Amino acid sequence: MLACGHFGSAPHMMNFLRLIEQSSFSQWVVGSSSVFAYPTILLLHTLGMGIVVGISAGIDLRILGLAPAVPLAPLERFFPLFWVGFWVNATTGVILLAADATTKFTNLDFYVKMVFIALAIVILRVLRRRVFQDPAIDKKTFSSDVKLLAAASMLCWIGAIVAGRLLGYLGPVSGLTE
Amino acid sequence: MNLAHIHLLLNHFPTIGFGIALALFLVAVVGKNEELKRTGLVIFFLIAAIAIPTYLSGNAAVETLCSGPDGACLPGVSEITIRAHEDAALIAFALMELTGFIAWLGLWQFRVLSHAPRWNVAAVLLLSILAFGFMARAANIGGEIRHTEILPAPPEAAFEGTSQGFARNLGAGVNAHQWIWPASEALHFIGLCILFTVVLLLDLRILGMAKRISFPAIYQILPLGMLGFATNLVTGMVFFLATPEQYTQNPVFYWKIVFVVLGAVNVLYFMVIDDPWTVGSGDDAPLTARIMAGSAICVWVGVLFFGHMLPFLGNAF
Repeated sequence: MLACGHFGSAPHMMNFLRLIEQSSFSQWVVGSSSVFAYPTILLLHTLGMGIVVGISAGIDLRILGLAPAVPLAPLERFFPLFWVGFWVNATTGVILLAADATTKFTNLDFYVKMVFIALAIVILRVLRRRVFQDPAIDKKTFSSDVKLLAAASMLCWIGAIVAGRLLGYLGPVSGLTE
Repeated sequence: MNLAHIHLLLNHFPTIGFGIALALFLVAVVGKNEELKRTGLVIFFLIAAIAIPTYLSGNAAVETLCSGPDGACLPGVSEITIRAHEDAALIAFALMELTGFIAWLGLWQFRVLSHAPRWNVAAVLLLSILAFGFMARAANIGGEIRHTEILPAPPEAAFEGTSQGFARNLGAGVNAHQWIWPASEALHFIGLCILFTVVLLLDLRILGMAKRISFPAIYQILPLGMLGFATNLVTGMVFFLATPEQYTQNPVFYWKIVFVVLGAVNVLYFMVIDDPWTVGSGDDAPLTARIMAGSAICVWVGVLFFGHMLPFLGNAF
């Protein structure tokens, strides 16, 4: 359905992806019956999502006016945990990708997910600079463009989750889908 | 002991629990006793939580009763009565969860207002009376599955033509429309993240992170977690109605539901007990509050763990 054919004209690329997929590590991830292979890697990916999106959504919703009694400045303490979650997901994401390279890289939905995540990270960095580095952070109301950024951040995370979930349904069937 | 036995143990709780809570609540409203109203709200919420395993184990009970060739039921057990019970139970369950949700919101506001909000008392009264009525009906039909002595006519005659298998039709509808399952999954993951927002911010604050936030301030975000949970209860029921046997025969799922009920008990601590409320800006939380916050994180990560492991450690899909 959503498969894009731009690798179809590049057989070298496809061969390379196949090579990654057939490496012994990739084969272990997919083929091992151990619960520490695919099940645990995917579990960490889901847990990382909960941390990353959970923290980001908390900050976004606070900016949008939820829980006005919560001072925003101390929420900055949650950024290190956010980045822990992010790097857990970058690592487990690369492993899951290697295990399934030929189907994921030829799936438009995968690129949609990546764009949403990239946008969400950029927005969060802008918000951190504009909101958290402002000494008057908890003394004033937010301008409408800061609120717009927070709303866009929420939408990007929702987009990333939906696109990620649909990877199991759209495009080429990988055999890894539940 | 099997799940049919568990269903027989649990199935008294919703009707009797809501009956007691309703009686308490009515007395409290008439007598204008706020603490008693609060107790009523707590019982409504807890019984709504127990109603989850009660409903789910019912499906396992059917599978035990009707495990013959082609799903033939044990002698004397009428499938029509079972379907009628299932349909009545699903409606009652939905009303009960809605009541539990509204009662929870009342409890949440109670903490700040020191009395039950008017809108909430009216809504809980109305919904709980409805839920109690429908649950009593479901319980009555349920009793007729095995206790034919209470029936004036043979069970087949009593329900002939009245049972369309509404719950089963809903499940078939989910399976018939390809988009419903993936859409529900996406929503289930969004709900998970929203629930995690609260688990991370509130419970980690209690454990000592971002200590400048006082507990009464962070308490404001609690309904967000409930919204996430409600989203996941509804989408979770979509999965369950569509393919109940994936879950009723799956021990990993039993653990997931046990942890969900533990989560409901855990959140009450932060709403009803005064300890965490002494935690101001910059304060360390008392030990009990820390233990409850730590266990909240374990419980919800546990729910995620068991849900994720349904196909891997369990036998779903």
